[in-house]
Parts: sequence; C-alpha cells; structure tokens
Amino acid sequence: MGKTKKVSKIEDAPVVVKAEKVNKFFGSLHVLKDIDLQVHKNEVVIIIGPSGSGKSTLLRCINHLEKINSGHIYVNGRMIGYYERDGKLVEDSERNIAQQRAEIGMVFQRFNLFPHLTAVENIMEAPINVRKTPRDQAEADAKRLLARVGLVDKQDKYPNQLSGGQQQRIAIARALAMKPSLMLFDEPTSALDPEMIGEVLDVMKELAKEMTMIVVSHEMGFARAAADRILFVDEGSIIEDTTPDELFNNPREDRTKLFLSKILT
Amino acid sequence: MYHFDWALFWKYLWPITALQNPLVRNGLIATIAVSVIAQVMGVVLGLFAALGKMSKIGPLRWLADAYVWFFRGTPLLVQMMLLFYGLGVTHIYDFPNLHLGPLTVIGALQAGILALGINEGAYMAEIVRAGIEAVDAGQMEAAKSLGMTFGLAMRRIVLPQAAKVIIPPLGNEFNNMMKTTTLMTVISAGELFYAYEQINALLFKPFELFLDASIYYLIMTTVWSFIQARIEAGLGERKGNEKLPGFFERLVGTKFGAH
Repeated sequence: MGKTKKVSKIEDAPVVVKAEKVNKFFGSLHVLKDIDLQVHKNEVVIIIGPSGSGKSTLLRCINHLEKINSGHIYVNGRMIGYYERDGKLVEDSERNIAQQRAEIGMVFQRFNLFPHLTAVENIMEAPINVRKTPRDQAEADAKRLLARVGLVDKQDKYPNQLSGGQQQRIAIARALAMKPSLMLFDEPTSALDPEMIGEVLDVMKELAKEMTMIVVSHEMGFARAAADRILFVDEGSIIEDTTPDELFNNPREDRTKLFLSKILT
Repeated sequence: MYHFDWALFWKYLWPITALQNPLVRNGLIATIAVSVIAQVMGVVLGLFAALGKMSKIGPLRWLADAYVWFFRGTPLLVQMMLLFYGLGVTHIYDFPNLHLGPLTVIGALQAGILALGINEGAYMAEIVRAGIEAVDAGQMEAAKSLGMTFGLAMRRIVLPQAAKVIIPPLGNEFNNMMKTTTLMTVISAGELFYAYEQINALLFKPFELFLDASIYYLIMTTVWSFIQARIEAGLGERKGNEKLPGFFERLVGTKFGAH
C-alpha cells in the first residue's frame, strides 16, 4: 500500500534491469527457464518461491555471480557478463565485469563481511581500492552510512564482535558505499535470529523509498510495506508477477496459493 | 677411552672464538641468508603454484601440477646436484661468482639457494592452497560483488585471511629450511655445516665439532620458535580471536597449569 503512488509512474521510469529469455542449467538441471523480467528505476521487486525454485540463482545472474547459458541480461542498458559475437554469448573481460558489478550492490544471506577488517574498514574497502576514492573522503562517507544504518558506535568493531543484525546492517552500508544504482538482496534476513530481523528490515524499508531493489525474501510484512511488485518463482519460471496486495488476496495459480498457505501461517 | 677435547669444543662453540674462523663466520651468515632467501622464494613460488593449481585455465593447472609433482617426488639432494652440475655442464648457466658490492656469492651458493627455493615452493604450494581454500567462498563473492577483480580480491580480502592458516605451517617450513641448508655441503656452498666439516677435515675431531655444529643449529631453530610463537600470538590477538598456542604450550603439548 505504502508505495502505490510510485506505481503510476514506474512504467515511464528508465529500465534498470532487463532479462530476456534467460536460461540457466546446473549440469542437466534446468534452473532458469526462459526468464523475462523488467525492473524500472526506483522499483522494489520481491521474489518469493520454494527453495530450489531458482530465485537466488536469478538474483545472482543479475550481477554475473552465476553464468547464464542463453538469453540476455541488461543492467542500465548494458549487457552484463557477456558481449555478443556472431549471435553467440562471449564472456566479457574480468575488468568490464568488475566495473559493472561496482554499480550493483549485493547483500548476502550470510552477510559475508570481511572478518579481518573493522566495520568502517569493511565499508571503505571497495571505495578506496576499486573507486580510488581518497581515504578521508571514503572514511567520511563510511561514517555517514554507519549513521544511516544506526551503527556509528560500532565503527571500530570487527564482524565477530557484532550481532547478526548489526553485521547485516554493516553489509548493507558496505554495498551502499559504492553508490550502486541497483541493490540485490539474497535472503537478507533468513540467517538472523527472529529478534534481529526487524532492525534489518527497517533499514531496507528506508532504502526502498529511493532505491531500485530486487529482494529474495519471504518477509511478507516487508513485501506489503515496501514492494511495488512481487514475483512468485517456481521450478525456474516466473509464475506470477503482480502487486503484493493482488498476490496475497487473489493469487491466480494453484501452486501460488499452496505456497502462500505454507509461508503465511 | 675417548679423550673429549674440551678446549677444542669450546673454541668452536663460543661465538667470540668460533666466529674468528672465517669459515664459521661466513658459514653462519650464509646459512641464515640462504634460509631466508630460499624461504621467501618458496613462498612466492608456492603462491603462484597454488593459484595455478586452482586456475580454471588448463595449461596453467598442468604446469603447476607438474612442478609440484616433480619437486616433491624427487630428492632435494638430487635436485641440487642436477641444478648445479646439470646447468653448468650444459652451459645453460655456469654459476659464475656474483659480486654484490662487498659480498661475493659463489656459484654453488646460488645453486643451493635456487634448489632450496624451488623445492620449497612445491611444498608451500599445498600450504598456500589449503590456506586459500580455508577462506569461505562467500568472501570472494562479496569482494567481486563490490567490483573487485580476482587479483584485487585475492590480495585485499582472501590472502590476508588465508595468512592465518598459512603462517603456522610456514613457520615450521622455515624451521626445516634452516636444517635442510646443510644439504648444500655436497656442492661445497660454504654454509655452516660445510665450515665444520672443513675444520674437521683438518683436525679430525668429529665428535666435538659436529656437536658444536648441532648446538648452533639448535640455537637457530629455538630462537625461531620463539619468534614464530610471537607472530602467531599476534595474529590471534588482532581481532579478539582466541589465542593460538604459545611457545611453551607448543613445546610441551599442553597448556601450563591446565587440567
């Protein structure tokens, strides 16, 4: 409900992510089947689906952490991970891929903070070494981001001295430090103790007001409050692509109903 | 009954008198220098070999595998002779004496350093690889997702964490290295054991002299054990992690005063 005002103009907004007929196999297992997807600027898209449905794989293809077998994925109009030669996909150079990934923030289920660096160093690491931001500026930016996720007092702590919720908020700040145009969240709250989920979702809700986000998550409260669209993925296909209200109140497909009945209890 | 020559024993043990002998003096310097240089070489080669072994590029992997296979599968002594005499006789490299300012590095010493370093690299490869593999794969993914290239992510994120796993066995390797330098005696490289052997050839007091040599090696390895314990304790402390076993704990095997 919270974002209906945005929906009206989303169709006109520039396309940030565009996937065309994306197929992906793990060996003989067909994990993504002819996926088509468009995400516009400032849109917040939630992906739900049973485990093994391919939802995380889809997310990881968008920043080329996973290779695809056919189809195209464009981020900000540029194909990611590949260029085309004689109609065939050829993997792009490492440097080009890295450059594109720098524009895409990613938050992982297991946080993946760098354990040998403090909270503030975790956030400064990529701006300094990838963007060549001067150290003082990177540090000032990092401190601003720490304030934004409510963890100024933890800047000199190492990850193992922080709770799961705090670590995930640092991980969000770390991704934001690269000023990405798109944020990917791969089950950001599923490794958290229940009492820490709220603090992470609060940060994400704030972010959802101004950021293009694709979130793999089963947090339905978050979906209702922050999502413009929700995708139900099953067996490698997008089964439904609609608004959260529509999906919860009028799921079209039987397997959507079955899945919702399992997670909404 | 054997008459133990205490005077000779002390003469070649007590540093002030022992180091007056240029063979001993240069031998001691050579042993320490060779150990350090060959170990550094081994770490660098081992890092490249480890990355090669983990590479997606077939030929790189085969090259690294072949390197490790050969140098771990043949005796170091043979490698040293092969390198020194083999390269010499084929005139690929004649091992001329190198003059580095006031220092002269004789050919045999160069061959010894090369052989020890290349051999060590093959062993370090496995140690480095184990260290890299001990780092969670999510670290590389997170680094890549932030726009880091493989090389940058290795250098800034993975290797600093792998170092914690690599450094304890690396310390043990260095301890071995100091003792293994004695093999260079067969190519007359002039390290510490060679010095005592030469003196023995003149005086024929093997018991006293080789005991002296043993004590020198024991001092070097013991001093290193102290340094190693300090380094490892430092590694453990830096982020409030549990402390690694200290020197005495390592020596005795249990924590002093523990039940």
